[in-house]
This record gives sequence, structure tokens and C-alpha cells, in this order.
Amino acid sequence: MDTIFWILSIITIIGAVMAITLRNLIHCVLSLILFFLGIAGHYFLLRADFLGAVQVLIYIGAVAVLMLFAIMLTRHVTGDEGPREVLGGKWWAGMGTAVIIAGLLWAIIRKDQIAQALPAGVAKTSVAEIGKALVGDWVVPFEAMAVLLTAALIGAVVIALEEVIRKR
Amino acid sequence: MDHADYLQHLTRQQWLIPLFPLVAAAIQSLLKRPARKLSAALTIIAMGLSCIFAVRAFLATIGGGEHHEVVRTVFNFTWFKFSDTASLDLGFILDPLTAGMAAMVTFVGFWIFVNATGYMHDDENFTRFFCFLSLFAASMLGLVISNNLLMLFMCWELVGLCSYLLIGFWYFKPSAAAAMKKAFIATRIGDVGFFLGILMLYWKSGTLNLYTHDPIHPGALEQAGALAQLTGWWGLSAASTIAFLLFIGAMGKSAQFPLHVWLPDAMEGPTPVSALIHAATMVAAGVFMIGRMYPLFTAEPGAWVMDFVMWIGCITAVFSATIAVAQFDIKRVLAYSTCSQLGFMVMGLGAHSLVAGQFHLLTHAFFKALLFLGAGCVIVGTHHEQDMRKMGGLRKYMPITFLCYVIGTLALSGFPLTAGFFSKDEILLATYHHSKLAWILGTFAAFLTAFYMTRQIFMVFFGRWRGGDEDRGHGQEHKSHDERGHEHHEPHEVPWNMWLPFAMLSVFALLMGWLGTPWFHDNLFHHYIAPEEVASESSNLVMGLSIAVALFGILLGWLIYGRKTMEHATDPDPLAPTLGGLFVFLNHKWYIDELYEATVYRFTATCGMFFRLFDKLVVDGILHAIAWVVWAISQVFRWVGDEFFINGGFDSGCESVRLGGKVLAKLQSGRMQNYFRVLSLGAAILLLMYFFT
Amino acid sequence: MSIPLGYYLMLSAFLFAIGLCGALSRKNAIIVLIGIEIMFNAGILNFVVFWHYKYFAVLTAQMFAIFAISIAAAESAVGLALVIAVYRYYRSVDVDQMTSLKG
Repeated sequence: MDTIFWILSIITIIGAVMAITLRNLIHCVLSLILFFLGIAGHYFLLRADFLGAVQVLIYIGAVAVLMLFAIMLTRHVTGDEGPREVLGGKWWAGMGTAVIIAGLLWAIIRKDQIAQALPAGVAKTSVAEIGKALVGDWVVPFEAMAVLLTAALIGAVVIALEEVIRKR
Repeated sequence: MDHADYLQHLTRQQWLIPLFPLVAAAIQSLLKRPARKLSAALTIIAMGLSCIFAVRAFLATIGGGEHHEVVRTVFNFTWFKFSDTASLDLGFILDPLTAGMAAMVTFVGFWIFVNATGYMHDDENFTRFFCFLSLFAASMLGLVISNNLLMLFMCWELVGLCSYLLIGFWYFKPSAAAAMKKAFIATRIGDVGFFLGILMLYWKSGTLNLYTHDPIHPGALEQAGALAQLTGWWGLSAASTIAFLLFIGAMGKSAQFPLHVWLPDAMEGPTPVSALIHAATMVAAGVFMIGRMYPLFTAEPGAWVMDFVMWIGCITAVFSATIAVAQFDIKRVLAYSTCSQLGFMVMGLGAHSLVAGQFHLLTHAFFKALLFLGAGCVIVGTHHEQDMRKMGGLRKYMPITFLCYVIGTLALSGFPLTAGFFSKDEILLATYHHSKLAWILGTFAAFLTAFYMTRQIFMVFFGRWRGGDEDRGHGQEHKSHDERGHEHHEPHEVPWNMWLPFAMLSVFALLMGWLGTPWFHDNLFHHYIAPEEVASESSNLVMGLSIAVALFGILLGWLIYGRKTMEHATDPDPLAPTLGGLFVFLNHKWYIDELYEATVYRFTATCGMFFRLFDKLVVDGILHAIAWVVWAISQVFRWVGDEFFINGGFDSGCESVRLGGKVLAKLQSGRMQNYFRVLSLGAAILLLMYFFT
Repeated sequence: MSIPLGYYLMLSAFLFAIGLCGALSRKNAIIVLIGIEIMFNAGILNFVVFWHYKYFAVLTAQMFAIFAISIAAAESAVGLALVIAVYRYYRSVDVDQMTSLKG
């Protein structure tokens, strides 16, 4: 079991790294998908089955596809693959910051007491229970989420639609 | 009260005599012009009051003291003190000389003022004229009553000022403006000597009071004997040096050669001015001053000062008489005649005879004023014609004027039994005893006097009226009223306010002489003025010769001018062909004015130019240099302080703020990725803080 | 399995850092959104890990994770719509060129 963790971790990390470093945008999104798969695997490893399934469905099935569509819509007419330069201005600032954060977190976590804990077993939760919880105890966040999603839907449509009305 | 106290009382009131005209002048200067009747009334009434006071004082001094000595009463007061011992005083005196002069000045002045109301009738500056006349009268009277050389000098200067103002009364005429300047400057030159004399007197005697009747602090004239012991300059004693310096002042004021040049030009003023100032009073001030300071002149017997005085007088007398022969302007003849008579007076004084000089001064005042007023009447009557060649036959038109003019002429010529005869005779007598040559020249001058006055009479009053001969313009004397389109009317007699005065004066001209003759009460005047003086020995030669030359002069005048009068205004003077070039020389006043112009004026002008150049180059140069230095310093301050520190500092401060703003503005790049970066940096720092604390 | 909690936490931390790198360094706006997604996922993974190691109630983490995933999806949708809109205006997805907030 441990080795699966390591393999999944490596896949995840590779996926993430490739997602942010590749030149070709499509390749980036494809590595992102790989990343999502890795994460999903980790969820399964952590006995959160529903969550893993949801991850695959929503992230890979919706978000990644959406990103592909966005990429397709924002290409230059001439067929350019996006900006020539890969890195933005002063990229080292960002990179440095991230490295600092990683370093700090690693330093923190390494010595932490809690971090030494070992996993304990958990009861499996069934989908039915999740469903019951959603409309039972967690109905308010559920409804709020619904509203949010509706708003986001309308908003996205409106934002992306402006072009039609406001022709330059 | 007894007589001495009465005299003292009068002396204290002496200041009233000049006060009335002074007040009149002050009031007139504040009047809203024109106020003709009021100003004339003020002047004449003031003068009348002064006359009453002066005559009162005069009457009090007649009779003298118990021993027939001259009584002098003085009243001195301190003006301001320098210290306990030194101070400047002023004072009044009442003695025969003063009283006689004051009476004469007020009396003659009064009648001249009356005449002036008629003469200046058409003038638009009437009020200003009478104001100046009053001021002049006040200053002249102040001069006469003063017991203090400082007060005398102040009034002397004031009189000079009034003369200046009145000569140039019609200042818009350029010739009048030039004449007023010339008069003032010429008299000023004399005043330099006068002032030096005053200084020396103060230095040597310690006081400027003339008489003090105080044995402890004697007056200057009372110290005359002591001053004669001190040494002065030029081989004279102090007294004589002072006398000489004072005489220089008199030379200027009384128009003696060589400072006589201003008197003929002073005829530019109105005729009443000429009558009052330049015949009777102001020019007499010099002679009066010599008389006043006579103890200084006579203190050192044998000094050359008196001889100098006598010779200057003699030269002036002859010199002016010769010029008068060849003049054509009626007033110029009278002016040179005045000059000549002043020479006579000075000659008399120089011949050690105060009596003769002063007596001639008094008589001359009357008949010269008379003659000038007559000339004024003639001028008015002929509608402002002054050239004698254009007159003639006025006897028919102006009988009263003619009569009085003849009386004046006879008096001036020294016709026997007139006032002028007695006074001139006194002078010639005194001169005879001192210098035969001077006496001969004086007699020659008397001859010329008779001659040119007769010439004038015949030219003006006899013959044919030549005024309508040629339209040569309206005479030389400009009046300030507007032209009324004069045709050449026939001349007419003048109104009563013009002929009455000289009727009065002619009486005196005739009769006054009896006061000074030994035939009448043994020369009353002599006893009155200076009884201590030794009377000159009477000489029949002198008297006979005086009468002879007077008559001969009149005869010659009649021969040349009377038998065959000038027919036309353009005819030459009958004397001209005979004398030829000499006539022209005399007509041009011996070219003295031209001589002065070539020498003195040119020298002064050159000096002036030199000093102007000096001023421009040196003084202005220094000024410009200082200004440049100041400017340069200010530039340095500006550059260093202002530009460098203040401006620079301020500018760089602003610049740094601007740059700072520019730098900080880069934070607002608008790129949200940058904002995100900053955000994560902040998070990292927070983590850092968590980690390390 | 006997993976200590710390390893999972470090994994999630590294993933978060990687996502941050991408979001801060790349010029392309879409990559920035990808980075943000990676960060999101790292965070949610953190939650699940803690649930697994018995620090949450049975359903809490799952609920949270579900909601978080929904929100992330909504957010990415809106974000991409924005990118499309911005692309239409600027004709590029270069974040360095979107400077109208400048100043």
C-alpha cells in the first residue's frame, strides 16, 4: 500500500509540474488531467470513494474540458499557440515565493508532533448517507451551493456573451 | 516823561514802522485774486501808517541833545544764545540818520504807491504787484531801523529779493527774466564782500550790535577806535578792512562801477518799481549802509579805504553820465543818471563828508522819484512808448507832467537854488578839499548831467509829436493786458492819481535844498545828522564853477537839441555825426556787458562745464560703481542662496517625491499576477513569522 | 498503511507550491487558472487527509470536499468566461498586457 502512495504521489507531482511548465497549452491541460487523476487516486487510497468519483467526474469531465474549450476559443486566428514567451515578467518573483513557502511548510511539517500520527481506520460511508446528509443536515449549504452554481452559470454566460452585443 | 524816556519809548516802537507793510504784504499774499481795490488800499494805508510813525520819530529826533550832539537811542534784544557770552542779537535804533531815512522812504514810498495804482491799472497781476511792493517797503524800513549788522544784512537780502521779484514782474518777457537774474547775481557778488565784512567784524569785535550804550559790552561801532588799532589785511587796520569789505557790498547794491551792470537792465520792471527801488530807496541802501557804518570808515585816518570809496564814486559818476548822453530809452537815461548820482553820493562819503553824501541821498530820492514817476506818466500817456525818438511835443498834451518833469530836471542838473544844487554843491565842495582831480571829474559829470537831462527834456516835450511817424510796433514795454489794437492816438494827460504824487514830490525837490545850505540857519541838516563833523570850508570857486557848468550844460543842450528839434523819429541824434564812433561806443554802454560776457561769463560757464563733466564722470561713476557692486552682490546671493540652495533644494525635494511616486506607482501595475505575487509574498512572510516566533 | 500524516501533508504542500509557482510565473492567463486549480486540489486533498487520519467527523470532510469541488468548478467556469471576454477585447491572453487597472 505504501508504494501505491509513492507512485500516486509521483504521478500527481509530475502531472502538476508538467501542467505548469509545458509550452503547448493543450499539453498543459492534458497534464492537468493527469494530475486530477492522481488526486482522485489519492482519494481512493484514502477511502473517500465518492469523492474520488466526484473528482474524476467534475474535474476531469467538466473543468478540464471547459479549459480545452477556452483554449480553443482564445487562440490567435493565425494559429499561434498563445504567447511566445512562456514565462511572464519577473517570473522569478513568483517562483521564489513558492519555493519559500514550500520550504517553510516542509520545515514546519517535518518536526510537527501531529505529523507523526498514523492513520486509523474509518468506516466506509455510503453514497446514500451522503445523499441523506445533503438534504438533511447539510441542506442549507446545499441550497446555497445551488444558488451559487446558478449565479456562476448566468454570470459566465453573461460575461462570455458580451461580445455579441458590444461589437467593436 | 522827559525827552530821553520818550525817545526810548519810541525806539521800542520802531519795529512798527516796517510792521505795517509786512502785515499788508502777508494779507495780500493770502487774498483771493483779484482783489485790486483791497490790496491797493492795504498797501497805501499801511505805508501811510508807517509814514505817520516815521515822521513822529523824526520829529522827536530834531533838536538833538543838550549840547547839540547826536542822540542815539537803541533797543537791543537777544535772538538766540550760543553760550553765556556769545549770542546773536537784533536791535532797533533811533537816531537822526535812521529817522531821516525812514521818513523819506515812507513819504516817497507812499506817493509812489498812489501813482502805481494808476500805472498798473490795466495789469492783471495788480495784487501780486502790491504785495511785493509792501514786502519791499517792509524790508527797506527794517534795514533802516536796524541797529544790528545781522538784521541789516537780513533786510538787505530781503530787499534784494524784492528787487528781483519786482524787476521780473513780467517774468514771461525773456528780457525781464534775464534782467531779474542779472540784478540778483550782480548784487550777490557784492554781498560776498559784505558777508566777509560781517564775519570779520564779529571776529574782531565780538558783537554785531552797532551801538549798545553799554560800556561793558560795547557795540561794534563804539569799538571803532579799538578796531582801528588792530591789524587787518592789505596794510589796513581791522576797522578799515571791515569797512572795505562792507563797501564791496555797497558797490553791488548801489550799482557802482564795476558792478553797475544790473541797474540799467532793471528798467525792465514797471516804472513805479524803478522809481521806488532803483532811484530812491534800494540803491540808496548801499549809501545808507556806508553812512551807518561811517565810524569804521573814518576810524583810521589816512587809510586808503576812503580814497578808494571816493574814486570809485567818481569813476561811476563820470562813466554813467557819459553813457546817459547816448541813450534813447527814456528810462535808461534816468537809470544811468541814477547810477551817476549814486557815484556822487559815494564820492561825497569818500571825501569824509557824511553830511554831503546823506543829504544828496535824501534830495536825490525826491527828485529822482519825481523824474521816474514823470517818465511813467509819459509812458502811459503815449500808450507805452519808451523810445524818446518817437516822442516829442508832449508839452502840449501833458502840461502837468511837463511842469513837474522840468522841476525834477532842474533839480537834478543842479540848477541854482533847487535842492539838487545845494546837495551836489556840498559834495563837490568836500571833494575839492580832498582831491582836485576827483573834483574836476565830478564837475565834468555834473556838466554832463545837466546836458543829458536837457537833451531829454527837448527830445520828449518839445518839437513835433513824432509818435505817429512810423508804425514801429507798440513800444518796448510789454504790458500783460491783452492788445487792444492801439492806433497811434495822440498822447494824453494822466489821471489825478498819477500826477498828484509828483506834484507833492516836486515841492520837496524844490524846497528841500534849503535844509542843507549854510545860507539858511547855518546848514540845519549838518547839525541834524552829524554835528561833530567839521564843515567844509566854503569855496566860491567851487560854487561858481558848479553854477557855471550847470548853466553851460543846459545851454549846450538847448543849442543842440532845442533850437532845431528832431523832425522825424528816424532822424539820427544830432550829436551822433559829431561824435561818430564815440557816440556808438557810449550808446553801447562802453561795451562793458560784452566784456563781462567774454570774460567772466565765459569763465564761469567753463567752470560749470568742467564741474558738470566731473559730476558726470566721477560722481556718477562712483554712483554707478556702487550700484554695480550692490547688483553684483545681489547676483551672488541670488545664485548661491536662491538658485542653488532654495530653488535647488526645493526642486530636488519635489523631484524625489515625484520619483518616489513614480516608483510606488509601479506597484499599481494593473497586472493582477503581480498583485498575486505580492499577496503570496505576504503569506510567506507570515509563515516566516510563525516559524520563527 | 503506515504513511504518517506528515507525508501527505508535505505532498499537499508541494502541490500547493507548484500550483502557486504556475499561477505566479506564467504569462498565459489560462495557465494561471490551471495553477489555481492545482492549488485548490491540494487544499481539498489536505482536508481529506485529515479526515482519513480521524480528525473530522465522518461526513464533514466529504461534505466539505464536495462543496469545495463545486465551488472550484464554478469559479473556473467564471474565470474562463472572463478569459474569453478579455481575449475578445485584448486579442491575447497575456496577463502582462492586461494593464487597464494600472496606476
